[in-house]
Amino acid sequence: MFDANLVSWVSFLPLGAGLLLLALNAAARAVGSELSASVWKGAGLVASVATFALSLRLWTGYDPTIPDYQFVEHVPWLAEWGVNYYVGIDGISLLLVLLTTFLQPLVLLASWNDVKHSLKSYVFFMLALETGMIATFAALNLFQFYLFWELMLIPMYFIIGIWGGPRRVYAAIKFFLFTMAGSLLMLVAMIVVYRLHFEQTGTYTLDLVAVPGTTLPGLLDTNILPGGDLWWRTQPWLFAAFALAFGIKVPVFPFHTWLPDAHVEAPTAGSVILAGVLLKMGTYGFVRFALPLFPSAAVDFAPLVFGLGLAGVLYGALVAMVQQDVKKLVAYSSVAHLGFVMLGIFALNDEGLKGSILQMVNHGLSTGALFLLVGMLYERRHTREISAFGGIAKPMPIFAALFGIVTMSSIGLPGLNGFVGEFLILLGTFRTAPAIASAATFGVVLAAVYMLWMYRRVVFGPVEHPENRGLIDLDLREKLVIAAVIVPIVWIGVYPQPLLTRLSAPVGEILRVMETKRAQAAAAPALAPLQASATEPAR
Amino acid sequence: MIPAPTLDLGAVLPLILIAGGAFLVLGLDLVLGGESEAEKYRKSAVLSFASVGVLAAVIASACTAFSAGAGAEFSPAHPMFQLDRLASFGIALVAGGTLLSILLSTYYLKEIGVQHGEYYALVLLASSGMVLLVGAVDLVSVFLGIELMSIPIYVLAGFDRRKLRSNESALKYFLAGSFASAILLYGMALLYGATGETSYAGIGAAFDGTAPLGVIGLGLLLVGFTFKISSVPFHQWTPDVYEGAPASVTAYMSVTVKAAAFVALVRLAAATFGPVEGLLGDVLWVIAVATMVVGNLMAVIQDNVKRMLAYSSIAHAGYLLIGLIAVAPGDAGGYEAVLFYLVAYLFLNLGAFGVVVSLAHRGQDAERFEEFAGLARRRPALAALMTLFLIGLAGIPGTAGFVAKFRIFMAAVQQDHVWLVVIAVLTSLVSVYYYLRLPVLMYMREPGEAAGRLRLATGEWLVLAVCAIAVVVLGVLPNNGPEDLLSWLRAFDWTRESVAALVAR
Repeated sequence: MFDANLVSWVSFLPLGAGLLLLALNAAARAVGSELSASVWKGAGLVASVATFALSLRLWTGYDPTIPDYQFVEHVPWLAEWGVNYYVGIDGISLLLVLLTTFLQPLVLLASWNDVKHSLKSYVFFMLALETGMIATFAALNLFQFYLFWELMLIPMYFIIGIWGGPRRVYAAIKFFLFTMAGSLLMLVAMIVVYRLHFEQTGTYTLDLVAVPGTTLPGLLDTNILPGGDLWWRTQPWLFAAFALAFGIKVPVFPFHTWLPDAHVEAPTAGSVILAGVLLKMGTYGFVRFALPLFPSAAVDFAPLVFGLGLAGVLYGALVAMVQQDVKKLVAYSSVAHLGFVMLGIFALNDEGLKGSILQMVNHGLSTGALFLLVGMLYERRHTREISAFGGIAKPMPIFAALFGIVTMSSIGLPGLNGFVGEFLILLGTFRTAPAIASAATFGVVLAAVYMLWMYRRVVFGPVEHPENRGLIDLDLREKLVIAAVIVPIVWIGVYPQPLLTRLSAPVGEILRVMETKRAQAAAAPALAPLQASATEPAR
Repeated sequence: MIPAPTLDLGAVLPLILIAGGAFLVLGLDLVLGGESEAEKYRKSAVLSFASVGVLAAVIASACTAFSAGAGAEFSPAHPMFQLDRLASFGIALVAGGTLLSILLSTYYLKEIGVQHGEYYALVLLASSGMVLLVGAVDLVSVFLGIELMSIPIYVLAGFDRRKLRSNESALKYFLAGSFASAILLYGMALLYGATGETSYAGIGAAFDGTAPLGVIGLGLLLVGFTFKISSVPFHQWTPDVYEGAPASVTAYMSVTVKAAAFVALVRLAAATFGPVEGLLGDVLWVIAVATMVVGNLMAVIQDNVKRMLAYSSIAHAGYLLIGLIAVAPGDAGGYEAVLFYLVAYLFLNLGAFGVVVSLAHRGQDAERFEEFAGLARRRPALAALMTLFLIGLAGIPGTAGFVAKFRIFMAAVQQDHVWLVVIAVLTSLVSVYYYLRLPVLMYMREPGEAAGRLRLATGEWLVLAVCAIAVVVLGVLPNNGPEDLLSWLRAFDWTRESVAALVAR
């Protein structure tokens, strides 16, 4: 029953479950009772586990030899505008969807006792958020992508704002406004692309690619030339508008300032989803939209992005080093890690792109796990100051061991997942920009410095604070959550081949589209005279 | 001997129905009488039922006229009022907004203690002015429509006559409105002087864009309209009037006056002067930008919910003006976008004011921001609805507000007005900030001392539910829903058909 519309099932199962719970709750209230908190928690967990189980069928059913989108569904929506409900999965979105559905039940389980008030809304918002994230990754229509990209903000805004730390309202609003600022300009660029596509092909569409079996053109058939007849119809500024939206989300230095606030103030579950999945929306957007739509501008902007990516790597690492708060340290480490991902994407070659996409998954796993572990510490001690800990290994040996593995994964120890991604990224970047790659290598060293230093100060040494002596080690639920994340961390580290195989075809396709369009643009009659005449004042 | 003109009474059927209804309600009020509060409430309920019945008949007649689509003229020899598709659309819009605001009013009037039967008669009279306005094709009937619309609303703004603020609101609106009417009239006189005609068709044929007299006349006409749609620089009355008037009146006037005035503007722009170009286009461009910027920036610093919504309504006038600019011969995308925006705005704004009305308690409107603190704990459904309406007004996808803005922006990009769209999105970013202030209070703050009443009247629930459903449905499936379920809903097609005749001319 699910196979016909598998992607839709996976996307909307969580939201459907959430709405069903709301309806049941309303019905129960009508007869004078209410669904208890544990029913909500249990149902939310069951729904997200079911979503994960369903999404595994995407993995098993995906044929890595076909470079096209699979599990495609296409339903006319606002047909006259070319807005369609158009979803499909390729290797890139497959990995990110699986990352989302995998993290979601763990997050719900991890926050089992965390949420003290308004639990029903919490479960509902988490489920709505999951639908938003999956639907964003699966969208092949630009309108639909924008819709879910924005919709996703609302549950996240409430999760930070209601269940967050002391400065939660400030952080929530900052998060919302920063993301909106970028995406509204992307909306304008999107409408311009829509119009340009119409002018070139005669059809109105916002579909990224043509529907299989039809001859209708998709947006990727638009070849916007570097010099159009009006400044706003040229690739550079369209690319810039998209890149701003995605860059804020990633976040690329210097747009990262919302991130430490949001990460630190968000409740554990919010931080995990934010770091694990939401940041990837930005990098995913570059890969899926910005590169194939505006290939020439992407090449032209690459040096700038390299610079910003490198700045992110070094700045994130240096700032992380001086943090007193573990959560803030992990937040700044995200800036550095995502800087690596940006370098890999704009290396614009096979290794770089593959490594970046793999690293998106890796970062989701290891940083997600770090936030989970920090959350567990916080639940016990109600502080995250590094100086408040020390010698945790004695009262909490299992915690110390798991924390150690995750730390190693985060700094890219060979044999764990982080190494594979970083290695491929550096390899790819080295082929395009050796100097940048060499400088970025220094970031790997810095990552080892700040992570290991933090680990030593928290876990080793004598127990200086008497409160830490009586700390209870992880219970079964917590062990289960962390162990579940460590399985793929080790698996990807030892045997990344299944993931890389699934990435080969779609990455090749993106590079091919870019190459073709750039060749076409180079061969096209120069538009320079036209542009020159347009810049002269009309008389 | 002067031959008797042939009149088509069918063309003014909606007008007859609504004006007749107003007098019917006024008469009923006299007949029924009532001394105690309970009796008055019963009478008030009867009057509101009667008004709803009248409005339903008006909507039905407008829908019939829309499907007929012939464009009947009241007096073919001397066109004054034309019941074409645009007019039918406008009438249905105005009557729908009136109907919802009346449902919102009955219990509210009891709660603030001014249960006078004239309320309903005045609302219906004002709406009959709007009905006249949306179908007016002559300067004389335009002026009649505007005055018939405005004068009852001056009274309604001061309806809570024991409150100083309500009185102030009425007086301010009356004085400023009279000035605007005078300027409007002066503009009409100059236009008549320049062209020798009062009908749109005649003016359109004789208008000369280079003759200063006609251009000045048109400019003064525009001043009168910008006052009614509350756009910069004639917006200063809006926050004071919206704040002082009873919340149900604010809800009513904020949506219906804007709808009627914009439909009239579309007709004026399209039928008389062709697509707005050249000087007039530049003037509108400046007004639109100033309106969006001032409205959104001023809304940020308000500490009163009604004032905040007043500035937000100014800002929305700015977005609507973009639609008037974004047209060209043969391309009425901008007009279509304006009409759709008006529908979306009607449900969004009525919904938001509906929540304010539903929280009014013991003669006091819930209008200070603090009164919304912790509302999600006390009244989860109401808080969720308010959040929906506010994010809709902010233009977040999934709501009617987004589709409306998207259409406006699309029309503007089609006409190369990209800068305008960039300014519009940047100002709507500002709007997100102030629209989110209420959700922050409702969800992220502890409840203050209990304020507001605990129960909602049936009418209030009904209005909020209708608005919420409309906001979501228009946001997700505005056109051509799935078979057998929403396939009747063709909001885009309706807006296109409404203005098709205007550009074809």
